[in-house]
Amino acid sequence: MDTDLVTRAQRGDEEAFASLAVAAGDRFHAVAHRILRDVDLAEDATQQALLSIWRDLPQLRDPARFDAWSYRLLVRACYAQGRRERHWTPHLRLLPSQEPMQADGSGTVIDRDQLERGFRRLSIDHRAVVVLHHYLDWPLDRVADALGIPAGTARSRLHHAMRGLRAALDADARPPAREVAQ
Amino acid sequence: MSSDPETTRIVRSWLDEGVTELPDRVLDAVLDQVPATAQRRVTWWPARRLSTMNTTLKVGLAAVLVAVAALIGINYLGTSNVGGPGVDSSTPTPEPTPVTTPAPTPVGLLPEGPHLLTDGEALDGMPTLPMTVTIPAPDWYGEPGDGILVKNDVSDAPDGAGMIVFFGDLYVYGDPCDWATTRPEAPASTVDELVAALTAQASRDATEPVDVTVDGYAGKSITLHVPDDAVFNECDSDTFGSWGVPGDDVTPFRYHQDPGQIDKLWIVDVDGMVAVIDTAYYEGTPQSAVDELEAIVDSTTFGE
Repeated sequence: MDTDLVTRAQRGDEEAFASLAVAAGDRFHAVAHRILRDVDLAEDATQQALLSIWRDLPQLRDPARFDAWSYRLLVRACYAQGRRERHWTPHLRLLPSQEPMQADGSGTVIDRDQLERGFRRLSIDHRAVVVLHHYLDWPLDRVADALGIPAGTARSRLHHAMRGLRAALDADARPPAREVAQ
Repeated sequence: MSSDPETTRIVRSWLDEGVTELPDRVLDAVLDQVPATAQRRVTWWPARRLSTMNTTLKVGLAAVLVAVAALIGINYLGTSNVGGPGVDSSTPTPEPTPVTTPAPTPVGLLPEGPHLLTDGEALDGMPTLPMTVTIPAPDWYGEPGDGILVKNDVSDAPDGAGMIVFFGDLYVYGDPCDWATTRPEAPASTVDELVAALTAQASRDATEPVDVTVDGYAGKSITLHVPDDAVFNECDSDTFGSWGVPGDDVTPFRYHQDPGQIDKLWIVDVDGMVAVIDTAYYEGTPQSAVDELEAIVDSTTFGE
């Protein structure tokens, strides 16, 4: 990340900001999509986050902290979009499924379905920690810094989230079910 | 039953699936909106100022200055040039000599005396009037024309103090915590409208407005409070905001620093344009700083 670009954008240089937005856009969208599990919501969150960055850049005290700060704004935008999701997601119920189970446990269709279901049960707080740690491969200290939470809280959220995902995967061992919209 | 490492491996593999590219139309939409989106002013002064460097950094910078001075054999540094030309390592290295450098003046630290708080140029996308104040004591920070002053470079609880000025129409939120959904349809554009909207604002415990004049211009003064138990991260976008400006309905331009913040406002009509002088402090702010804020307001003159 080029701190000179950040400093120029802080002073209102739109071209410098455009360079930052281009550089960050793909990664932001990928992270937002993984947190929100919806392409449209992820696009909206990314757009909102980039505009928030432009608007609030003068308040960033240390340009070298642009990365952590910008991801905090992205996660905030995901919260906002997540609230929209709650309004729009239809009620779901579980029905028995006749899909065959795959037993190797290595990224199978069943795993993905179970993970998707388990992940959607997590709060945005917990999803963000999982994505920043396991997708961006950030150490938990960096995740905590970006989210503005104590490292212990990040660790606790990750533990809780992974326990929930493990439980979702273990649901494979029980009679399978399929989620359908009412 | 899945083991932890196995769960981690599966989750990581699953996360690697999915979109990775932002569609151009989204980026284009952002960049199209940038020219019309005002940047928010800072309410503290940024790290570019030397006074905000931490001790380690200062010591480190001093050591570099000493080393560079010694290596290139000069005894005086007018301005530091840490990234200057390289030094031939075969050249005998002179013994390091302590170098005395003058203490830097922190950027933004204002001398006592007149200060152009706003210069008539737009702020937050809004017009301003030229406004001059007198800095009555040391340790006030600000930048000419930026409409902000901060005592000791600290505007946060428990003892910060500062002021910010706005001109023109303002959208006063019905509830500063739920500001996103309580922005009014129309802005307040007169002293009375602003005072009425602020008095009615939820949770602010507003005082009765009193008649005042600033530089001979009539208006009202009112004091508002941010509740001590306000939880900012439960508010819209983690922000407790009092008002926004025209042209941007998604940003509170007066947002508050901490619970317990006290805002004493002077709202006056300056030849048809409303000026809002917002002095902000806390219960823990030294009375001397509060008195200095009042003195700054008393010293205000509008116009060239």
